[in-house]
Amino acid sequence: MGFWLELAASGLITGGIYAVVAIGLNLQYGLMRIMNISHGEFLMLGAYLTWLAHTTFGVNPFALMPAVAAALFLLGLVVYRFCFYRIARTAPSVEVIEARSLLVGFGLMFLVQNVVYLAWGADLRGYSYLAEPVEIAGARFMANRLAVFAFAVAASLLLLALLRWTMIGKAVRAMMQSPTGAQLVGIDTGVLHPLVFGGGLALAGVAGGLLSMVYEISPSMGEPYTITALIVITLGGLGSVGGSLIGGFILGLVEAFGMHFTSPSLKMVLSYGVLVAVLLARPRGLFSR
Amino acid sequence: MSAREQLAATLACGAVLAAAPWLLSDFLLSLALSCLMYAALAVSWAMFCGPTHYLSLATSAFFGLGAYVTAWSLESLPYGVAVLAGGLIGVAFAALIGAAVLHLRGAYFAVITFGLGELTLHLITYTEKTYFHTAGRIISDAPDNAAIYWTVLVLTLGAVATAILVRASRLGLALRGIGADEERAQTLGVDTRRVKILAFALSAFFPGALGAAMAVRWTYIEPLSVFNPFIGFQTVLMAMLGGAHTLIGPIVSAVFFSLVSEFLRLRFPYVFLLLLGLLLIALILYLPGGLASLLRRRGRADA
Amino acid sequence: MKLGTRIGTALLGALLGALAAPALAQDKPITIGYAIARTGPWSIGAQVTQEPNYIMWAEQVNAAGGLSVGGKKRKIELIGVDDRSNMETVVRSYEKLMASDKVDLVLPPWGTGANFAVMPLAQKHGYPMLSPTATGRKLVAMKNPYFFALLQQPDRMMDALAEFMVARKVRTAAVIHVDELFGLEQFTALEASMKAKGIQILEVKSYPIGVKDLAPVLKAIQAKNPDALIALSYPPDTFLTTGQTKAIGFNPALFYAAVGTAFPFYRDKMTAATVEGVMGLGTWNPKTSAAAKGYFDRHVARWKKEPDRWASAHAWAGLQILQKAVEKAGLDRKKIRDYIAANEFDTIIGKIRFRGSENVSTPGVVSQWQNGEFEVVWPPNLATSPALHPKPRWN
Repeated sequence: MGFWLELAASGLITGGIYAVVAIGLNLQYGLMRIMNISHGEFLMLGAYLTWLAHTTFGVNPFALMPAVAAALFLLGLVVYRFCFYRIARTAPSVEVIEARSLLVGFGLMFLVQNVVYLAWGADLRGYSYLAEPVEIAGARFMANRLAVFAFAVAASLLLLALLRWTMIGKAVRAMMQSPTGAQLVGIDTGVLHPLVFGGGLALAGVAGGLLSMVYEISPSMGEPYTITALIVITLGGLGSVGGSLIGGFILGLVEAFGMHFTSPSLKMVLSYGVLVAVLLARPRGLFSR
Repeated sequence: MSAREQLAATLACGAVLAAAPWLLSDFLLSLALSCLMYAALAVSWAMFCGPTHYLSLATSAFFGLGAYVTAWSLESLPYGVAVLAGGLIGVAFAALIGAAVLHLRGAYFAVITFGLGELTLHLITYTEKTYFHTAGRIISDAPDNAAIYWTVLVLTLGAVATAILVRASRLGLALRGIGADEERAQTLGVDTRRVKILAFALSAFFPGALGAAMAVRWTYIEPLSVFNPFIGFQTVLMAMLGGAHTLIGPIVSAVFFSLVSEFLRLRFPYVFLLLLGLLLIALILYLPGGLASLLRRRGRADA
Repeated sequence: MKLGTRIGTALLGALLGALAAPALAQDKPITIGYAIARTGPWSIGAQVTQEPNYIMWAEQVNAAGGLSVGGKKRKIELIGVDDRSNMETVVRSYEKLMASDKVDLVLPPWGTGANFAVMPLAQKHGYPMLSPTATGRKLVAMKNPYFFALLQQPDRMMDALAEFMVARKVRTAAVIHVDELFGLEQFTALEASMKAKGIQILEVKSYPIGVKDLAPVLKAIQAKNPDALIALSYPPDTFLTTGQTKAIGFNPALFYAAVGTAFPFYRDKMTAATVEGVMGLGTWNPKTSAAAKGYFDRHVARWKKEPDRWASAHAWAGLQILQKAVEKAGLDRKKIRDYIAANEFDTIIGKIRFRGSENVSTPGVVSQWQNGEFEVVWPPNLATSPALHPKPRWN
């Protein structure tokens, strides 16, 4: 493989990781207008669960992903019932839901972080998994990055398929397009909202689990990922799951090529530059409906 | 209360607060400083974002730019002038980005203002590193605590007074009109674009000046600490928790939140974030009108 | 909303009470205060290197009856608060400790930036500070009489590295560094040192904090085939660089990464086999001396984790110096300062003497992972093991 293909692959791998970090948040925002700023904290929780189970029981971290997803899903139902349910019921407008959910998100962020600090301390944690180079067509990658990339893309595509072809997926999409219309045709928000919120946290947990295979984890790791997620979903268009996937890839590619052609010092300038440029050209993201 | 009465009340409060450096210990003074700083940030944020329902996350960008103005100029300029310059840089930056992004709404506006702040941070990092071979700046000969306190007090009073005047003026009316229905405001002859840019720029004076005023307390200025996004997040949090459409709400909330979080931090050093989180969630769920609604109800009951 | 009002009033009452309550007049224990990160990004370093040592030291001194002051033993009472990784909170906390609580002594916060912020307060209120996690010529250049920096300055560490390279005939190097005070100061020192010693720098790249992929940068460097790859990095990028250099099969004769290599977690996460031959910023290990071994064992017994092989020992050495100075000079902080400034101290990392703020005794050191221990390999008189050079290929 030539140098350029290798550079592109490197960018796509990072982009796939960005995408899976973002999609859960987009689901919650797209359906319910919940801007869950504690997204990164639940991602961190998923990372800690994976790390804990892997290091104490020696289970393969990929095999743990369904369990982590289930745990975070249940947690999501609880969080929804105690926090967001009341907001959705009492808020007079969508704007108010957005604002209050943002504030509750701050509360959750403090809460979850502190619980993890109490449980495991501030130290860096992590484990070595598939930390072996593999060669594909002459290019070398770390096996865990490739595996995480494949899993992330598969999970995102699976989600897209679910949304497109299943009953519940159709209900979710109908709801995203027209909440009142969907209610008129008999879609029950009382069931759908907690399910989708739980689904969002489950995706965050899986993203965290995947990241724990590649990077070190710590209780303060969440915030940068929340920010990454926000950038990716606005880039792709709020409420567009496919847009998040592509938004993640674009960001990864821009960083890889940009760093090569300019300087790695400019990495952050490039990421935020592309965000600003896209929003100026398309004020509702690349794939707004 | 009429605007005139509100201004008089602000001035009276200011006169009382000005005595703090003679009455309070160093620690209580610096706590008061934090309360004032966040009150000014929250009030100036609410000045534009309250009536228009925009969610700006640019506060930390204005603050950081102001701090850098001090870092770059304190050797050649007096402190007061640097603070003024910090405010003006905030205004200029806000006018520039306002012209470019104020047509965005909702979460898109929030994210792009945040993104522009981060972009500025990283551009400063890059410029400093490439052309000045440094990662941060040292501020020596900082003014004493009382001088910083009085400067921040003046800025806070200025922010409150500006907010009062804006609310009572045609500008405030236009902003409320934009918040209620921008197209309608336009058909009624309001130049909404100009109004928004003007108000956004005006509100950015205070975070810029505060950044310049506070920077001298940290000796070493580096982008990551003065552009700390948490400064912006906390401002939004406080303003919204207090009730961003009210005048008194953000002030009460900023003082309340600064004191409570400091009390919890010192009293419960290992679980204060947990308590703060719970308190926050409880307040939002059970006091949806903001802290100001508490005062208002009480006021009504007393009357 | 009666309930809400009542809760509000009660909270406010408790708050004012707590803030106004005068510190109870306890003249028995010696109060030692500090603010350090228990939450936020700084907490990772602070909780590995610094606070565990503070707590262990106080416990150990108290178990032995207390700190000797004028021949009398007095217990230590530690007052530690979380600075939330926030500069203003650091300043406010030390204003409280120094000016309001008037604690007997303070211990420094974590990190160069936070130490910068506290320095003027230390001078104003006259509190000596022995800092184990602040480094940089700019700190020393402040000429603050109450500030003592324990870590070796960047030029010492980089000189040691360059000397090692000359001794092993390493002629070319590529450098990557983080765009932050630490990375820039280390790089400036390294560049000067290499120029003086005739080592050619083939490539220099820098990157911002928070970088998630360095593979393209490392590939470009690999193509230039330098003898040495030197990463003046922070912990996350130290891990990233190690992993990706291995992934692309780049095998320089010398691989050096700065901060984080000395963490036991580096070896645990990357595996001992992977890090075999990796060099980095270190100063000591249990083989350095019997005293170092004793410290290591006590740390493991108390915290169930190993101390890092760089600044943990500086943190402990700082506490040893403070203890000695209090024994000799009592609790008069001016006298403590003068005593620290004028004398040489025996510590677990050897003799330490200050000139101005700078520790001029501890030499620059190069350490290297060998069979799961971070061996000191340079300078020869401090080496706990001969260097493994060239570095074995990644496996």
